[in-house]
Amino acid sequence: MKPEASSSSANNVLRRASRRVFTAAAGFALTFLLAVPGSLAAQDWFRTGTGLGVSKPRAAVADFASRNPSSQSFATLFGDVVRNDLDYSGVVDIASRSFYPTQVPSVPSELNAMAWSSAPVSAQFLAFGNLTATGDMVEIQAWFNDVQNPSAPPVVGKVYHGAAQDEAVRQFAHQFADEIIAKLSGGVPGIASTQITYVSTRSGNKEIWAMDYDGANQHQLTSLKSISLTPRWSPDASRIAFTCYPTAGAILSAQICMYSMVTGRLLTWPHHPGTNSSPAWSPDGAKLMFMSSMYGNPELFVSDPDGGHLQRLTHSVGASTSATFNPKTGQQVAFVSDRGGVPQLYTMDASGGDVQKVDLPDMGYVIDPAWSPNGQLLAFSWRRPNGNYDLYVMDVASHALVELTRDAARNERPSWAPDGRHLVFESTRTGSRQIWSMLADGTQARQLTTQGQSESPNWSPK
Amino acid sequence: MSTARVHIDEVGLRAPLAWSLVLHSVVLVSLAVSTFISHQGDNWSGSPGGGGSMSVKLVGGVPGIPLPRPEEVTNSRVVDTTKGLFKSEPQPKPKAPPPDVKRIPEFTKQKQPKYISRPSRLLEDNTPPPENAVPYGQGGSPAVPYSQAQAPAQPQNQFTLSGATAGGFGFSGPGGGDFGGRFSWYVDAVRNRVSSNWLQSTIDPSVRFAPRAVVAFDILRDGSIANVQVEHSSGNASVDNSAVRAILSSTPLQRLPNEYSGAKVSVEFWFDFKR
Repeated sequence: MKPEASSSSANNVLRRASRRVFTAAAGFALTFLLAVPGSLAAQDWFRTGTGLGVSKPRAAVADFASRNPSSQSFATLFGDVVRNDLDYSGVVDIASRSFYPTQVPSVPSELNAMAWSSAPVSAQFLAFGNLTATGDMVEIQAWFNDVQNPSAPPVVGKVYHGAAQDEAVRQFAHQFADEIIAKLSGGVPGIASTQITYVSTRSGNKEIWAMDYDGANQHQLTSLKSISLTPRWSPDASRIAFTCYPTAGAILSAQICMYSMVTGRLLTWPHHPGTNSSPAWSPDGAKLMFMSSMYGNPELFVSDPDGGHLQRLTHSVGASTSATFNPKTGQQVAFVSDRGGVPQLYTMDASGGDVQKVDLPDMGYVIDPAWSPNGQLLAFSWRRPNGNYDLYVMDVASHALVELTRDAARNERPSWAPDGRHLVFESTRTGSRQIWSMLADGTQARQLTTQGQSESPNWSPK
Repeated sequence: MSTARVHIDEVGLRAPLAWSLVLHSVVLVSLAVSTFISHQGDNWSGSPGGGGSMSVKLVGGVPGIPLPRPEEVTNSRVVDTTKGLFKSEPQPKPKAPPPDVKRIPEFTKQKQPKYISRPSRLLEDNTPPPENAVPYGQGGSPAVPYSQAQAPAQPQNQFTLSGATAGGFGFSGPGGGDFGGRFSWYVDAVRNRVSSNWLQSTIDPSVRFAPRAVVAFDILRDGSIANVQVEHSSGNASVDNSAVRAILSSTPLQRLPNEYSGAKVSVEFWFDFKR
C-alpha cells in the first residue's frame, strides 16, 4: 500500500515518532529471537529416513452410515468400493472387517479413536462418513482420519453431491479413494478413476471394449463387425488407436484406426498398402508409431496422430513391431524384432538410431514390451525354452530381472497403470483368455473379465 | 636261477605297440571332438548359465516400482531346544538351610510407616496477586510489541512465532513446530515416496555398507522440493548421489496439508545403506 502523499508537517512528525517506536520494537523482537533460537526457525521441520524398507500403514474403512432408508444401498456400495480401492492400492493394508467395533462413527464428533487405534483393529487411519439421499440426489460426507493422532485435523474430508445412481456413487468412491491414496503415497495420484481398454469377443466379433480399472462398467466401444486389435489410449485419454481390418472390397488388410472417446466415432486415418498394426503413442501425444509392411518388409514407421508426416524408422531384414515409447523421456523406443532369428527385445532412439539388442540371460521368444511410467522398467512377456509365456520386469539401467508370473498358463501383453504400481495383462490361467491385473511386484492378481475371450488390455493414462 | 630277459625288439612288438598307441589316441581325439560338436548345436537349452538356470529374483522389492519396499525381516535366532548329544547334568539340589538358623518372626501387626508431609515453604506465596492480574489459564495471547518482520500492515498484530501455530506463542522443542506430530501421515508419505525412489542399484557395487547419509531439503506449499543439499555425507559419492537423486525424483510431493499455515517445511532425510 502506498502512503498518501501529504505534506503536513504534523503528519511527518507523527510518522517519525512511529518509526522510532518501530525500531525499538524491532530491536526488542530481535533480542527475543536471539534468546530463543530453536523456536524461531520461522518454520517447521521434521526428520525421517529410510534403511530397511518401510511398512505399509494400516487402515480401516468403517461402514458408511445412511441417514435415510433410500441411501442404504448407496452407503454399502460406497464403503465397499472405497475399501476395495484402498486394498488394491498397494500402499495401505486394510484391517479385517470382522474386527471392527460395533459403534460406527458417521461424523468426526462421534469418532472414538481409541476403539479403532487399539487392538484388534490396530488401524492407523479410519475412513468413515454418511450418505443422505434426497429425491434423485445424494450427498456423501466422507472423512479419512488419523486415529492414532486424534487431535490432528482429518487427512481427507470431502463432501460429494451428485445423482442418486450407483454409477455416480461409484465414481465418488473412486475419487475419495484416489484422494487418500495420493496423500498416503506422497503425491503419486491414485488410479481408482482410470479405465482399461481391451479386445473382447463377447458380442461375436473382436471389438474394442472399455471398463473401469476394477472391472466394473464393462462396455463396448466399437462395432465394426470385423477384427479389432491392440487398442492404445492417447496420452490425454481422448482417443484410442487400434489395429482394424476394414472390409474394403474382398481383401482384408490391417490398418490403423482411431476412435474418439469424445464423439464415440472413428476418426479418418489414411490407408496404407500392406499390413499396418500395433500403434504406439509418444508420451506427448504428438507422434504415433506403428508397424507397416507398405514397402514389403514389416518395419516401424512414425507419423502424426492424423497420419501425416509419415517417416520410416527401421531398416532391417527381419520384421519389427510392438513399439513402446519411454514415457518419461519420449526419446527411446523398445520394440520386438526377429532380425536375429527369433523375436527379441531391442531398443532405439525415437528417431530410429542407435538400435541395440537387449541381452537376456536365456533364450526364447520375447514379445509385448511395455515401458513403465517412470521410465525405469520394461515389462514384457517371455517364453523361455522350458516354459510358457510369463511376465517379467527388467530394470532398464542394470538389466536386473524380476519374474512376475510362473506356472500360471500363458501371461502376455502387460500394460502399466499410470501410477507405475499396477500391471494389467491377459492370462489363460482360468482356461479361457481373460484380462487380469496385479501389483507390479507380482502380488494381488485379480481377474477383471469373465465373459467371452478378452485380450490385449491397455491402461488409460489418467 | 636264470632270468629270462625278453627285449621288445626280440619279440618284435615294437610295431604293434606303436600302432596301438596311434589308434588309441585317434579314438580319444575323435571322442573329444564328437562331444564338442554334439554340444555346440545344443544352444537352445544349453544356455551359458547351464541347464536354463539364471539369476532371476523372485518376488521382492523391485527398485523403480513406486511401491513401499517390503520391510526386511531379520530372523531372530531361536535357542535350540532339542536335546543335544550330551546328557544334561542333574541339577544340584538346593541346599537346605542349616538347622540352627532362626526364622525372623513376622510382625503380628503390619503397620504402615507414617510419613510426615510438611508443606513446602517455597511454594507458599502469601503475597496477594496484583490488581491487574489475569487468573491463570484465562489470559489470551501475550501482547508482545509489534515485530517488523511479521505483517507490517497491521501494527496491532499479535506477535506470532513460527507459522505453524495459529496464534500466541508456539514454543516447541526440537523438531521445529509440531508438524511431525500433527501430520504424521505426511511424514510417512514422504518417507515412502523417497524410499521407493531410492535406486540402490545405482550405488557402486563394491560398496557393501555405508554410514548414514543425511540430505536436507525444503518442501514448499505446492509439494515441490527445493534446496536439496547433502548435510552429512556417507563418505561415498555414489551413495550420496543416489540419495540426492531419490529426493529429486520424488518431486512434486503431495501438497502441504491445508490445515498447515506455513510456507514450507524443512526435512532432514537420512539414508542407511546396507547391501
